[in-house]
Amino acid sequence: MDLIHPRTVSDVVDALRDASSTGRRVLVVGGRRHIDKGDPSQVDAELWTTQLDQVVAYEPAEMLVVVQAGMRCGELASLLAEHGQEWPADAPEDATVGGVIASGSSSPRRLRIGALRDTVVEMELVTGDGRVVKSGARTVKNVSGYDVHRLMTGSLGTLGVITQVALKVRPIAERSMTIVAPGATIEHAQAVVDGVPLVAGVAATDEAVEVRLEGWADEVEALADATARAVPEAVRDDSIGFPRRPWWAWEDAGTVVEAALAPARLPLVLPASSMHAALVGVGIAWIAVDDDTGLSELRAIVAAAGGVAPAIRGPGGLGDTALPGAAVHHRLAAAFDPAGVLAPGRSWSDPLIPG
Amino acid sequence: MADVDAARRELEAALGPDGVLADPLALRLYARDASMVEGGCALVALPTTAEQVQACVRAAAEHGLPIVPRGSGTGLAGAATPIGDALVVSTARMTRIVEVRPEDRLAWVEPGVPNLDLANHLRTMGWGFAPDPSSQQTSSIGGNVNTNAGGPHCLAYGVTSAHVLALDVVMSDGSLERFGAEGPEAAGYDLRGVIVGSEGTLGIVTRACVRILPLPPDVRTMLFGFDTVESCAATVSAIIARGVVPAAVEMMDQGIVRAVERFAHAGYPVDAAAVLLVEVDGTEAGVAAQATVVESAADDHGVSTVRVAADEAERALLWKGRKSAFGAIAQIAPHYHLHDCVVPRTKLVEVMRGIYAIAERHGLIVTNVFHAGDGNLHPLFSFDRTVPGTLERVLKASDEVVRLSVAAGGALSGEHGIGLEKRDFMPLVFGAEDLATQACVRAAFDPHGRMNPRKVLPDGARCGEFALASGGTGSAAADAAGLPEGSWI
Repeated sequence: MDLIHPRTVSDVVDALRDASSTGRRVLVVGGRRHIDKGDPSQVDAELWTTQLDQVVAYEPAEMLVVVQAGMRCGELASLLAEHGQEWPADAPEDATVGGVIASGSSSPRRLRIGALRDTVVEMELVTGDGRVVKSGARTVKNVSGYDVHRLMTGSLGTLGVITQVALKVRPIAERSMTIVAPGATIEHAQAVVDGVPLVAGVAATDEAVEVRLEGWADEVEALADATARAVPEAVRDDSIGFPRRPWWAWEDAGTVVEAALAPARLPLVLPASSMHAALVGVGIAWIAVDDDTGLSELRAIVAAAGGVAPAIRGPGGLGDTALPGAAVHHRLAAAFDPAGVLAPGRSWSDPLIPG
Repeated sequence: MADVDAARRELEAALGPDGVLADPLALRLYARDASMVEGGCALVALPTTAEQVQACVRAAAEHGLPIVPRGSGTGLAGAATPIGDALVVSTARMTRIVEVRPEDRLAWVEPGVPNLDLANHLRTMGWGFAPDPSSQQTSSIGGNVNTNAGGPHCLAYGVTSAHVLALDVVMSDGSLERFGAEGPEAAGYDLRGVIVGSEGTLGIVTRACVRILPLPPDVRTMLFGFDTVESCAATVSAIIARGVVPAAVEMMDQGIVRAVERFAHAGYPVDAAAVLLVEVDGTEAGVAAQATVVESAADDHGVSTVRVAADEAERALLWKGRKSAFGAIAQIAPHYHLHDCVVPRTKLVEVMRGIYAIAERHGLIVTNVFHAGDGNLHPLFSFDRTVPGTLERVLKASDEVVRLSVAAGGALSGEHGIGLEKRDFMPLVFGAEDLATQACVRAAFDPHGRMNPRKVLPDGARCGEFALASGGTGSAAADAAGLPEGSWI
């Protein structure tokens, strides 16, 4: 396995031009946190983005930050925190900004803050054949042309290398609190979603219901009281994160699946025994499975509930959900990566380049 | 060449005789949207089902007619203005709210549902749909999706894209696909996200699954008057710097405030140089905390008048002032040209000064009403089109406004889109490679260039060896010849 470790965007351009002309297959790598997603076997080289880690522009009053994509999330969080702001990815500190975006990862606080994809307003990328392309603008609103950055978000490095992004950031809440209710059920969790206004996140795990509250100091107190009416015997703690044990900290789990489905159907797919954390009201559930049989069974249940269930850690790939507009997918892949060198096979049911 | 008669016969068979319009008056009515650009069309179809939309696309493809999707026709950039022998496919008769599922925080709606109808329907159930463009009484969900519409409340809640979960779309080959999902993630690339804001060039939306939100328990609406535009704009920055992102922050200059006050009698301070309408929402405690910050920011910047809505009636009155701005300016002159550009929030004052100077140089009246929190300016030139030479001066001034905002680091459009009006400005903000890539995105959906050709991308934009994405002939001169007046070739 070769290593490509570019220092500049033009290094990325050179590497991808070379790869496209020689047919060398390349896997784009950030912090390796979603490296298993899409099961990217069979590549000849890894391209690490981690030296593309500069802050390009940060004007707190604009609530926008422009960074290179290889910057670590922890470093970005420290920079923003100096100005009382955050990019609400809630990813591990060693994840990269570009990796979080390319993997389409979901913030545990999605119930309140929305999808992370909506924070990406501008992007610079290098296509598989080495063209530098810019999309979007450094403004919080923009309708001009086709949002290529939307295609790149969640594309797992199959269309190009994200080299730079402009992100919408937000003020850090005056106070945050996680409330843990051991032994509470998903019905309790649903009662919190229904009864506590503006709750930041509600996770139903195999051990507890965890509730994240954020806001102004008085507000959080009032919300905590409302939460106490929905979940019995809860413990309040201002110091722990949300969820307490995110999926990447599940040391004893082999394969972790990220199921996504209409939120009211979550109870249909949560296992009785194995480790899981479901974002109630959102429709995301991280579920540990033991083996291929467990994965197949879970996928069948999720598919019957109208959802998808890619493996985000361990083997298992994305699943065999049929792609809508398969021909559109094929044409896009051919236009962005004509030689098919970017993580070939890292895709849903249909191969992106037929044949 | 297009065979209009054959297409008409086929459409009448599929949609029934009252589903197809071909008389000269109807064709004239559908020859434009709310922009200043007038075009022309060969046929208008009014389908009521997705199957009928598929029939429209197939008939147009077979008989060589370009397709122009249309919602309510309130677009301001000419995206729904047809050109040549086009078949206009209006979704205005697809007006069902199919289902509302609060337990899943979603609603399925047909594209012709007016934005405000959906909002009002949801409100009775304690829910809301966040995008609220000023055209919301008329503009449809399908149109909102296609322009990625904003509105005052997208400062805190995000633009339409953040509120669209899935779309059923009739593709350029007549097939029907669902992009996105009822759940938060779907398989494949985020084609849903690309279709939102694509101005009818990638397909025709026949059903949308939108995200709905519980109404906030409390809301407070405040109106501040300032003696200078600078102190008003500085207050906006101060509010954000102090950690508050209000639900809405709207700024109006003296010209628009005076016009509005004569029209709406909302009690706006007509002596103020600029007025700021701020709304905060959330829990009771959260609203109180935010309002304190907002009021102290205004105080620190020398606010001259403060008014806080005491009840829902007063709140509605304060919003009436803002929302009736475009009606009110009819008193100034019979015609107006409304602009839409976004600049960094910190450049608001500089760009406003520039806009006043441009208006003065061209002898035009300009007023400003805009989403200050987003840096989204809406300068509005008022004029009488029948006075010879006036339209030309407006177009010249508008050109300068676009260049001024781009030079300040802004975008071409915040919420109205590119359409015909701004397509030839695209090279101001995108390089050739960027535009070629965008052309590839378009060609991936519509390899034959059938859907709303000549819109969004300038005629030169091509995607490598793909078929012509923009539907042009390949000759710039010939392409330019077919475009209507006002599209700034």
